[in-house]
Amino acid sequence: MTNETKHIILQLGRKFLLLAAVLVVLDIVYRFTFYPKDRDENCTLIPYSMKPVKENDDIIYLGESSNHSFCASDTDQRAISEMIDDMMPGHKVGKLSKDACHAGVYYDILRNIPRKNPVKTVIVTVNLRSFSSEWIYSDLEKPLQKEQIFMKKAPALYKRMLLAFKAYAHWSEDERQKLVREGLEEQTLKLPYYFPYHNASEWDHAIGSQDHLFNGQKVSMDTIVLTCHYIKDFAYQLDDNNPRIKDLDKIVKLCHRRGWKLVFHILADNMDQIKTLAGPDLEFLMKQNAQYIVNRYAPKRVTVVNNQYMVRDRDFFEREFPTEHYNQTGRRIVAEMVVEGIRD
Amino acid sequence: MLFNSIEFLIFFPIVTILFYLIPNKQRWILLLGASCFFYMWFIPKYILILLVTIAIDYTAGILIEEWQDDPSRKKKCLIVSIISTCLVLFIFKYLNFCSANFVALAQHFGWSHPQQILHIALPIGLSFHTFQSLSYVIEVYRGNQKAERHFGYYSLYVMFYPQLVTGPIERPQNLLRQLHEEKTLQYDNIANGLRLILFGLFLKMVVADNLGVHVDKIYENPQDFSSLDITLGMIFYSFQIYGDFFGYSTIALGCALCMGFTLIDNFKAPYQASSVQEFWRRWHISLSTWFRDYLYIPLGGNRVAIPRWMLNTLIVFTVCGIWHGANWTFMIWGFAYGVLLILERGLRNIHFFDKIQNKTGKRIIQGFNILKTFAIVTLLWCVFRATSFGNLRDVLSAWVHNGTLVSQLHVSPIAWIALAAFVCIDLILRQQRFDRWCAQRNIYVRWCLYAVMIFSIIVLSSVQQYPFIYFQF
Repeated sequence: MTNETKHIILQLGRKFLLLAAVLVVLDIVYRFTFYPKDRDENCTLIPYSMKPVKENDDIIYLGESSNHSFCASDTDQRAISEMIDDMMPGHKVGKLSKDACHAGVYYDILRNIPRKNPVKTVIVTVNLRSFSSEWIYSDLEKPLQKEQIFMKKAPALYKRMLLAFKAYAHWSEDERQKLVREGLEEQTLKLPYYFPYHNASEWDHAIGSQDHLFNGQKVSMDTIVLTCHYIKDFAYQLDDNNPRIKDLDKIVKLCHRRGWKLVFHILADNMDQIKTLAGPDLEFLMKQNAQYIVNRYAPKRVTVVNNQYMVRDRDFFEREFPTEHYNQTGRRIVAEMVVEGIRD
Repeated sequence: MLFNSIEFLIFFPIVTILFYLIPNKQRWILLLGASCFFYMWFIPKYILILLVTIAIDYTAGILIEEWQDDPSRKKKCLIVSIISTCLVLFIFKYLNFCSANFVALAQHFGWSHPQQILHIALPIGLSFHTFQSLSYVIEVYRGNQKAERHFGYYSLYVMFYPQLVTGPIERPQNLLRQLHEEKTLQYDNIANGLRLILFGLFLKMVVADNLGVHVDKIYENPQDFSSLDITLGMIFYSFQIYGDFFGYSTIALGCALCMGFTLIDNFKAPYQASSVQEFWRRWHISLSTWFRDYLYIPLGGNRVAIPRWMLNTLIVFTVCGIWHGANWTFMIWGFAYGVLLILERGLRNIHFFDKIQNKTGKRIIQGFNILKTFAIVTLLWCVFRATSFGNLRDVLSAWVHNGTLVSQLHVSPIAWIALAAFVCIDLILRQQRFDRWCAQRNIYVRWCLYAVMIFSIIVLSSVQQYPFIYFQF
C-alpha cells in the first residue's frame, strides 16, 4: 500500500467518523421530533405490547382475530382472553391481539416486554393457517413487517432508515401472488397411501376445475371456491424449514430465558366442514401438522393445548371463508381448554 | 436491486471496497459478477436475454471489423445485428401491443383473428441496454471504435451495474475505454461519488416519492378532484418524474465515480429551458443524443429540404415515444414533441420581441419562455403519465369540467417542502453538477447540507414503495 493510499484511507476514515457523529446527533433530533408520530402511525403493536407491562398482568395472551371476533347474536361478547381472565381468579390476563398476527410478530412483542414485568405465563395462539404460504405471503404481512421494524431494539434513526430503504417485505401484488403460487408448488405432499396430487397447487387446480367434490357430490361454485381455500390454507406438511416453526423455536428459547411458562394453543378449525368438503386427505394433513407441533414442543417444556377438533361446525359463525372465528360457545370451549392446560 | 433499497446499501460498499482491493487486471471479473448479481436480483432468468444481446453484438462487432474492406458484407452484418438485437426488444416489449392492435383492427373489419398474448414480464432496462449495445455496433461500423475482442470487457460494457437498468446510455468511446484503464483510489472520486449518491437519493426518496403519493391519487380517480388539484397533480408529476429519473442517473453517476468511472450527465436543468428544442438538449441527454447520432443524422438531419426535415423530426420523436413504452399514449407524446419542434422552427423567424433591448425586458421574455416551455412539457407529461387513452380522457375531462378552485387534495407539508427545496436546488445549481458545486462550498456549509439531506432521506422519505419510473422502459 503506497503512502498516498494510506493518506486517502486516513482522510476517508476521518470523514466517516464525522459522519457517525452527525448520525448520532440526527438520531437525537429525530427521537424528539418525528419519531413519536412515525411510531404511532406505523406501529399499532407498540401500544399493545406496552399495555400489559404497565399493569400487573401475570398472564399474557397473544392472539389474532380469533380472540376478538364476535358473532352478532352473541350475548356474551367477551374475547377468549377475557374469558380466560374470568376463569382464573387471582390472575390477571393481558391480551395482545391483532388481525393476521403470527409467531414472528409474537416474538417481537414478547422481546419488548421489560424484565421488571410480573409476567409468569405466556399463551401463544398457534393458527395452523399461519404456516401456509397463503398467510406467509399475505397482503397483511407488509404492514406487520413495518410494525416489526419499529419494535426492534435499535436507535430510532436506524429503524426509520430500515423503513425508508424498505427493509421489509415490499413485494408488489404480482410478486406476492407469484410467491404464494411458488409456495404452493414447492412442497411435495407425502401421504402414506396413494394420493393423486403432488402438491397443494395441483390439488387446488384439480378441485377448482370441476363441479363436484371428492365424494362425487355436485356442489355450487361457492362451495368449490371455499374448498380450494381450505386446500391452499392447510395442504402442507410442517418441517424445520417453515419460517413460522423457526419463529416458534425463537419464542420457546426466549420464554425459557425469561423464565416464563409457555402455552401453545392450537386453534380449533372447522374440521366438520373440512371433512365434508375436502375429504379425509386434508384432514390427515391437518392432524399430522397439529401432531408435529405437539411432538416438537411438548418435550421442550411447552404446554401444547390442541384444540383442533374442539369447536363444532355450528359454533363457527363464518362459513364462507376459512376462519377461526367462533361464537360465544366456541370461544368458551377454547378458553376452558386453555385454562385446563395452564393448570396442568 | 433498487438503488434505494437496503440490499443496495450493503452491496455497493462491498463491491467498491473489493474493487480497490483486487489487482486491476481482475477487476472486470468482480464488476461483471457484481453486475450479474445486481441484475439477477430482479428476475434471474432474464440475464439470458441480456447474454443473447451481448453475444450477438459482440460477434457482430468483430465481424464488422474483420470485413472492414468489404463494405457490402460489413453493412449486411450491421443490419443483421441491428435486426436481431431489435427483435429481442420487439418480442418482449412490443409483440403483445402489436398483437392487441392487430386483433382490434381485425375486429373492426369483421375478420376473425385470435389474440396471441405472451405472458412475459418486460426485462428490466431492456430498452436501455439494447440501445447501448446498438451504439457499440454502429460505432464499430463507422470506424470510430475498435471492436472489443475480450468478451468479458464487452459484457461489462453492456452490463456495468450502475447504468445497467436505467442508463445513462453510454457510448463505447467513453465507457469501454475507461473499463480498460487502471483505476487508483482517489479521494476526490470517492467524495464526489458519495455526494452524488446522497443527492440522488434525496431527489428520489424525498422529492419524487413524496410527490408520487399525490400524483397517484389524482391519476387513479381524476373525477374526484377539482381543476386546481389536477393542475397541481400535473405539476407534481413533472417534478416527480424529473426527481425520480434525475435521482437515478445521479446515483448511477455517483456509484461509477466512486470506482473512478465517469458517466455522461443525463440532465442539465431541463425545466429552465426556454424552448422545447432546448428542453430536449437538457433532458435525458444520453437518449436524445443517441437518437440524434443514430437516427436523426442518418435520416439526413436538418441538411435536407424542409418537408423532409419535418418528416425526419416526426419520425425521430415518434420512435422516441415508442421507445418509452408499447402504448399509444407514448407514441402520441413523442409525436407531439415532433410537431412542437416543427412549429418552434417555423416561428423562429417571427421576432415578436425584437424591440425590447434592455436587460430587464430580455429577462422577462426569457422568464416567459421558460414558463411557456414548462407548461408545454407539463401538459405533455400528462399524456405520458396516463395509463391509457381512457385515463387521459378522464384526467383532461376532469381538468376542464371540475372547474372549482376548492382543493380536495390534501398535500402534505413534506411534499410542499420537498418541492420547494427541489426548485431552489435546481435554480442554484443551474447546469452545474451537484458534487462540483458542493466541493466549492466551505466545510461547514457542506456538512450542514449533508446532515439535512441524510435526515430528509431517512426521516421524510415516503414509507410507500415507489419503483423508479424509468424501470418499466
